Amino acid sequence: MQIVIIGNSAAGLSALSRFRSIDQESQITLVSAESATAYSRVLLPYYLRRKIPHEKLFIRRPEDYERLSVKTVFGVEVRHVDPESHTLTLEDGRTIGFDRLLIATGSRPLLPPVEGLAGANVYHLWTLSDTEQLDSLFRPGRRVLVIGSGFIALQAAWVAQQRGLKVAVFELLPRIMPTVLDERAAALLHQKIEEHGVEVRVGIHTEAVERTIKGVLRVQTKGHPPLEVDLIIVGAGVRPNTELLDGSPVKTDRGIPVNEYMETNVPGIYAAGDVARGPTAFGETHQTHALWPTAVEHGRIAGANMAGQRAPYQGSLNMNVTEMFGITVASMGKFVKDEGLTSHVIDETGQSRYVKIILREGIPIGAVALGGAEDTVILGRLRPWIRNQRRLPDVGGFLEGRYLLPRQVA
Amino acid sequence: MRIVEVDPTSCVACRNCEYACAFKQTGDFDTKDSNIRVNFYPEERVCIPWTCVHCGEGWCMEVCPAGAILRNPETGAVEIDANRCAGCKMCLLACPSGSIHFDKVELVSKKCDLCGGDPACVKFCTSGALQFVEEEEAYSFRRESLDNKLKRLFGLNKRGS
Amino acid sequence: MPERETVQTLCRMCDDRCAINVYLEDGKIVDIDGYKEHPWNRGRLCVKARAAVDMVYHPERLLKPLKRTKRGFEEIPLQQALDEIAERLLAIKDKHGARSISIWKGEAIGFAQEEDMARRFVHALGSPNYFSNDSMCYNGRYFGYRLVEGAWPIPDYENSRCMVLWGANPPHAHPNMTQMIMRARKTGAKLIVVDPRMSAIARQADLHAALKPGTDGALALGLIQQLIETQGFDREFVEHYTVGFAELAEYAKAFSPEKVEEQTGVAAVVVRELARTMAVAAPRVAVYVGNGPEHHENGINNIRAVACLDAILGALDREGGNRLAEGFKANRLTLYDKIPLEHLAPIGADRFPVLYGFRQECHTMTGMNTILSGEPYPIRAMILTAANPALTNPNTLKVREALGSLDLFVVRDLFMTPTAELADYVLPAASFLERVELHTHAKYQLVTMTRKILKFPDVQDEYQFWHDLAHRLGIGEYFPWNDETELTGWILEPTDISLERAAAHPEGIEHTPIHYRKWEKEPLNTPSGKVEFSSQYLKDLGYPALPEYKPPAYLESPDSDYPFVLITGARKLIYYHSRFRNINRFRTAIPGPEVELHPDDAAALGAADGDSIRITSRIGSVEVPAKIKSAVEILPGTLQMTHGWKEANVNLLTHDDRFDPISGFPLMKAVEVRVEKV
Repeated sequence: MQIVIIGNSAAGLSALSRFRSIDQESQITLVSAESATAYSRVLLPYYLRRKIPHEKLFIRRPEDYERLSVKTVFGVEVRHVDPESHTLTLEDGRTIGFDRLLIATGSRPLLPPVEGLAGANVYHLWTLSDTEQLDSLFRPGRRVLVIGSGFIALQAAWVAQQRGLKVAVFELLPRIMPTVLDERAAALLHQKIEEHGVEVRVGIHTEAVERTIKGVLRVQTKGHPPLEVDLIIVGAGVRPNTELLDGSPVKTDRGIPVNEYMETNVPGIYAAGDVARGPTAFGETHQTHALWPTAVEHGRIAGANMAGQRAPYQGSLNMNVTEMFGITVASMGKFVKDEGLTSHVIDETGQSRYVKIILREGIPIGAVALGGAEDTVILGRLRPWIRNQRRLPDVGGFLEGRYLLPRQVA
Repeated sequence: MRIVEVDPTSCVACRNCEYACAFKQTGDFDTKDSNIRVNFYPEERVCIPWTCVHCGEGWCMEVCPAGAILRNPETGAVEIDANRCAGCKMCLLACPSGSIHFDKVELVSKKCDLCGGDPACVKFCTSGALQFVEEEEAYSFRRESLDNKLKRLFGLNKRGS
Repeated sequence: MPERETVQTLCRMCDDRCAINVYLEDGKIVDIDGYKEHPWNRGRLCVKARAAVDMVYHPERLLKPLKRTKRGFEEIPLQQALDEIAERLLAIKDKHGARSISIWKGEAIGFAQEEDMARRFVHALGSPNYFSNDSMCYNGRYFGYRLVEGAWPIPDYENSRCMVLWGANPPHAHPNMTQMIMRARKTGAKLIVVDPRMSAIARQADLHAALKPGTDGALALGLIQQLIETQGFDREFVEHYTVGFAELAEYAKAFSPEKVEEQTGVAAVVVRELARTMAVAAPRVAVYVGNGPEHHENGINNIRAVACLDAILGALDREGGNRLAEGFKANRLTLYDKIPLEHLAPIGADRFPVLYGFRQECHTMTGMNTILSGEPYPIRAMILTAANPALTNPNTLKVREALGSLDLFVVRDLFMTPTAELADYVLPAASFLERVELHTHAKYQLVTMTRKILKFPDVQDEYQFWHDLAHRLGIGEYFPWNDETELTGWILEPTDISLERAAAHPEGIEHTPIHYRKWEKEPLNTPSGKVEFSSQYLKDLGYPALPEYKPPAYLESPDSDYPFVLITGARKLIYYHSRFRNINRFRTAIPGPEVELHPDDAAALGAADGDSIRITSRIGSVEVPAKIKSAVEILPGTLQMTHGWKEANVNLLTHDDRFDPISGFPLMKAVEVRVEKV
């Protein structure tokens, strides 16, 4: 078989690994629009913050592809996919044939429709190239505005603060990380951020960005004086990279819907990672979880199915962890809306600690933890309960460290 | 590969294993640095030693965004390369048994690496609750225990011999 | 990578004596782990063994002899120290007589030949006054069992169907025993633990009888009553090999399960269950009594009552029961036959005739009074080795006063202890890695010889010290061997084990094959030759013949001024008595002293974990942080505080004036106290 994988990040590489562990014969070509060696997007802020050196960003070397007998085509975009002829067309005109295709093109950052936002001195923190650019621009004393307050945006703010820049964060909604944290947790994080000297404004609408002669950016907001900064970093969401499927029979709908075998509507064509909308651990059929662990899982399932194993996906359990502003923020499952559900809370916001586990009829469905590393471990231990929908009657005991494995529950 | 077989019915929570492991990592006995942890529940009188079981398909290995968690080809142990670890804590979130911990000083994740094939916890387990055995033979003592019970039940109760 | 040399020897950080590999690089010890070939510990160790590396090279280690001067301790050359000590001893001997000189041998130097050297020395000098740690350890069990069945037996856990750990906590005290117990459990043997606390071993007990401190005899008699009533006793053995059964049975009648419940707090249904479990498993019942029951005013009879169970169950010297070990028939260094000195009134022998009669030991607590009062005759000098009574004997203030008042006090140790601080001369002593000696493991009847791995210039091993001193005191003929290796050779002479053979077998050599049921062929080591439920020997000495139960004082006559009962001395794995507090990582694991409390008692006191608590007894007072245990780990109204801590010394509270009348052991585990939050 001829296998083609588009994408050289979490989903694509995971699929490659899994496919090869089953099928060592078929030919594999891996195509990627980025020319850089495979790197870890998760680690970009760590590099920018000078926590890890440049070389540690890379998670594959050329010999890794050789060992797996993979032909690589880097730095070339795929223009078009034609399932009927089983070919795809690259931007330089070349075509590649396939028996099975995996689309793992990921997503790219959104630019909100703010007047003047598109232009010089406005960046994202998404690719290695973004990161290298920002690295050269980060100088102590420079002023930066971060628009958005999701994981990426706040990581950008944290990195900038650590590099000595003067930072402000603008969030449209009434609290930071509105899709990730509840009010209490958001308040705690908000406080930690401000303790580090970063200005945070919520419920603020950015109306326009002007550029002055000296290259300074003047940001206009509703009801506030303009803010002058040297650069802006936008972390306001991502959109899936589905352009290559325009005009093709592969269905797209805010991403590529896939079933539990990572199959698109076209037989032989799969999708995985940020670009895909797949099943969740809670039974939803098509959701995007633009998270590294989900991309890895998608890739694994796609790889297995492409190799002929009929392996269904149990569903993505959205989980994420990041450390910033002196606190570790970890989240898993559904934990924001808790009406009609039970929640078990450890509220020690005075000691920078907040852990909340949400249960539906005694079964945990999500958790968020702000605190230290040990609290992240709690969520890790909770994962099997959420995944397997097991009852957890003694949440207090669980939080104390009991019930190492689900079987311990009486 | 050989693994650390754990018998909670022989463990007395003396914590020699925790001390021995912590000592191997740091030269001190701070049990927070130990890769093996013992939980003792006084009301139920249950002692549970637990460490990484080096899963055949380690989720920590799969999910690590730095590619820092790899299997040691000699011992079969799942090991964190501290030089590659960026301290992102994704593995803490991944491990279902809470067997990875974070070192706040070195800012990397730490876990059991079977001490390169001669686990200290097993050497210093005074009760014999920890044994280092081939995975195919692990927990065969449960079968032997059951055999002993059946032997007694079915008429070899030698009173007075 | 430097060359690594490996030497096998035995660890003596505690008395388990596990076999170890000692790794050296360039003559320096760098690591220690378990020696797999030795059947005793099969390669397993506790973390203390590795800490020996830190201990022998510890910066606080004494390496030069010290003399007390007005300016404090000053280093002096070894020969000068020995000369001066000998001179002063001779002067004291002239003035007050030989028996005014005493020796105190501590636990740390062990038993066997090291103990015998000390005994030999003091006897050769003409003094019967040998004191040791056994005034408050081991002898209690030894007497209790010897009075009943002629010796203290060795439990055969691995072949047993039921093990009873009575006031013993192997995981902390004799760690190696734990693996034997757990191996037995894997074959289905039941584990019974009798202990007022939920000790580490109790965590795995099938039955944990949490009896009130000091009521062991009532429980034992209750078990005897049940075993007799339910016909769960070995009628044949009892008939042919015991005396006094009828009297014991009659006496035990009163100990119904309900009466036992009243006295001990153990529920009647549990008493029945305990007896039933033992009866079903008999004769494969192995009972091990720890130090716990020894430290009571009724200790010996409590232990005797437990000892009776071996015969009642038919478990004595049977496979899976309690085996009578056969000793290693080597040469003994003691001079009791050659130079008998009972007529010189060994201190305490009149008060505790069994102590001197069975073990030729003097009574340390009486010794303190003797030193202070000069009655019945003066004790003016003491050589003390490997002991720290200023911290570990009861009534610390009196011990300090007494030892500090001696005309000559010589202490041998590895470190400056509170006891050494009172001395006139402190001599650096050799650790177990610096001595050649023989050890027997009675369980497998093995003898193993240790290796001298290190030698520091002025640090003498015990033999060297006694030898050099003896030759200065005119008793050199009793110490003719050149060194401890030669001495060890002499000890081995009558056996079929030569020095060479011993050296070639670090895994130990079985000196005598193991036999059971020896009572079929030979009498027991009791006056009647049988198991003695009733002891004429004791009766002749004026004690009751039967192991009569006398309730502990705090139950019989409670004192409302001292409403709590304090247990002292529970073991901690890494701190052996007062040792190893200077190993830094041990302090990380267990930072300091504490007193264990029941949560209800803590609540009534208004005390939280870590709060300072003042405990007061009729003897003294001490302040110590509280450790609140779970409600199932300790009995309400009882406290436990471990000894050996300078920071909070529990022996400021313990009695040196209340004893078991037979052994002379002090009351240490049921002390009446009052408690308040500081």
